[in-house]
Amino acid sequence: MGERVLLIEDDSRLADMVGEYLGKAGFHVVHAENGTRGLALHGREPADAIILDLMLPDADGLDICRQIRARSDSPILMLTARGDPMDRVVGLEMGADDYLPKPFEPRELLARLRAILRRRHAGPKPDVLRYGRIEIDRGSREVRLDGAPQPLTGYQFALLLALAEHAGRVMSRDALMDLIKGEQMEAFDRSIDVHVSRIRAAIEDDPKKPRRVITVRGMGYVFAKAQD
Amino acid sequence: MRRLYLQVYLTIVASLILVVLTAGLLWHFGTAFPPFGQQFEVAGEIIAELVPPVEASPQAQQEAIDRLAQRVGADLALFSRTNEPLASAGRPLPPPGRSGRTGGWLRTAGGPAIAIPLPDGRRLVVRIPARQRPSALMLAAFLGAIALVVALGARPVVRRLTGRLERLQRGVESLGAGDLRARVKVEGRDEVARLAQSFNQAAARIEGLVDAHKMLLANASHELRTPLTRIRLGLELADTPSERKAELERDIAELDQLVDEILLVSRLDATEQLDVREDIDLTALAAEECARYDDCWVQGRPVTVRGDPTLLRRMIRNLVDNAHLHGQPPIEVTVDRQNDQAILRVSDHGPVIPEGARDRLFSMFYRIPGRSGPKGSGLGLALVKQITRRHGGDVAYDSERGSCFAVTLPAV
Repeated sequence: MGERVLLIEDDSRLADMVGEYLGKAGFHVVHAENGTRGLALHGREPADAIILDLMLPDADGLDICRQIRARSDSPILMLTARGDPMDRVVGLEMGADDYLPKPFEPRELLARLRAILRRRHAGPKPDVLRYGRIEIDRGSREVRLDGAPQPLTGYQFALLLALAEHAGRVMSRDALMDLIKGEQMEAFDRSIDVHVSRIRAAIEDDPKKPRRVITVRGMGYVFAKAQD
Repeated sequence: MRRLYLQVYLTIVASLILVVLTAGLLWHFGTAFPPFGQQFEVAGEIIAELVPPVEASPQAQQEAIDRLAQRVGADLALFSRTNEPLASAGRPLPPPGRSGRTGGWLRTAGGPAIAIPLPDGRRLVVRIPARQRPSALMLAAFLGAIALVVALGARPVVRRLTGRLERLQRGVESLGAGDLRARVKVEGRDEVARLAQSFNQAAARIEGLVDAHKMLLANASHELRTPLTRIRLGLELADTPSERKAELERDIAELDQLVDEILLVSRLDATEQLDVREDIDLTALAAEECARYDDCWVQGRPVTVRGDPTLLRRMIRNLVDNAHLHGQPPIEVTVDRQNDQAILRVSDHGPVIPEGARDRLFSMFYRIPGRSGPKGSGLGLALVKQITRRHGGDVAYDSERGSCFAVTLPAV
């Protein structure tokens, strides 16, 4: 039998559909229509993962999230609505592992659910930068896209890390060179631009139309803060 | 503007001056009115008992007048019915004139005097000695002192009345400025107090309505998105041909976008302040948004602005989407800094928007007349305007650079 997912969602028609969809992917979904029942069900038999709606008839989803987190370490995926005044930071501070705004792509839900389960199995890794589907693991110096490790040289990893640590800021080539000057550089390839195209080949869905490492003409590169 | 308390206060002071003047005039012409005239008649009756009758010898009359003058210490003169001098003491006095039986005040060289008619027709003119006469200056000082006391006493009363109005004014101003919890203290039970009470009731009602509006917005976002999610899931579960499915997915995305924009417009209307303020690299943000299209380029230098990253991202996205939807590629985005202003320009190679249409570009649901082609939500540019204004900046159509929108924001 597949992994057990507790879905706390007041819209029962949506819950049925999510149950059916995730069921096809091999999950066993248990539905609770409000926060109180969700807490009770989880207390009786802890789920492997919890999908929690932010708006519940009897309680604030954030509150339920805090209560679950207080007594269990099952990963939590919060369902919000785009443009909610509550932004992801609040949800993640309350102990949620990830959040997904409605209306979501069903495949996106599946991917996020698998990601939080995988991370839970792998144990806590505080030294990981996470941007959408990319994980940059500073401990093992590894980059993963959808959980799959991507081939990068040490220099390229350092370059990507320097960009990702300054996500949302334009980084000039000189600034990047300064940040990674301690790294062992491949003798024959001195240009940052060449390394950037290698990085793109590894992490972009379409390296010709980069969405993660973006060029600003005459200035340098930006690692996108908002991805996917 | 003359302040209200000053106006009220000056009115009171002016009334006091009027009272003083009226009192002075009455005093001056007072003899014309009873009971002033009557008191002279009474005095005449009494004096008639003290002086010999009209038939007595002039000598007897003179002796009586001398006696009387000595006793009252004043200048006296007795005149016959026909104004003939009968007897006098002290300095000379003029005859009282032909005013008959009535008495009254006389102006004489040595000071004011009074004429007292005796019952037999004779008249006695008395000049009160200078030391006993009330001087005009004394009278003025007396009335002035009363006026001063009233003026001083009225000031705090007037100040208190207008002070309440000023507090009420401050309350109205802070409500207008967006502090919906602004209330004023209700003092007293007069019209001003009732006005304060009405203000408080109105403010409470506005606060309630705005709260309800915000609540509706918070819930509407979620309530509208849940069925959208159901449709999206249903599409996935049903066996839909992939072409039809992609089309329906686009429809859902469009509907989601419309919900988003309508809610954002309402939210920006309902709130005065930005929820989030952080330093943002505008150039990097523009680069991220440009990366969504193949034929969109960013250039410029890093410029930092302070604001809400979600809103600023939306602002850039709407401008780029607008150029993509209604203009011609390629789209160029430039970010620059001029003095303390960040300037973001989004231009495309489409035709320049006609001058007549430029004013209304930023109105909701406006569509340039005669233009066909794809239709957006109709809210995109209106939102751009709202977001730039909320960040202390502005947006304009800059036709000198072709088809170009220019946003200015305060730079950090």
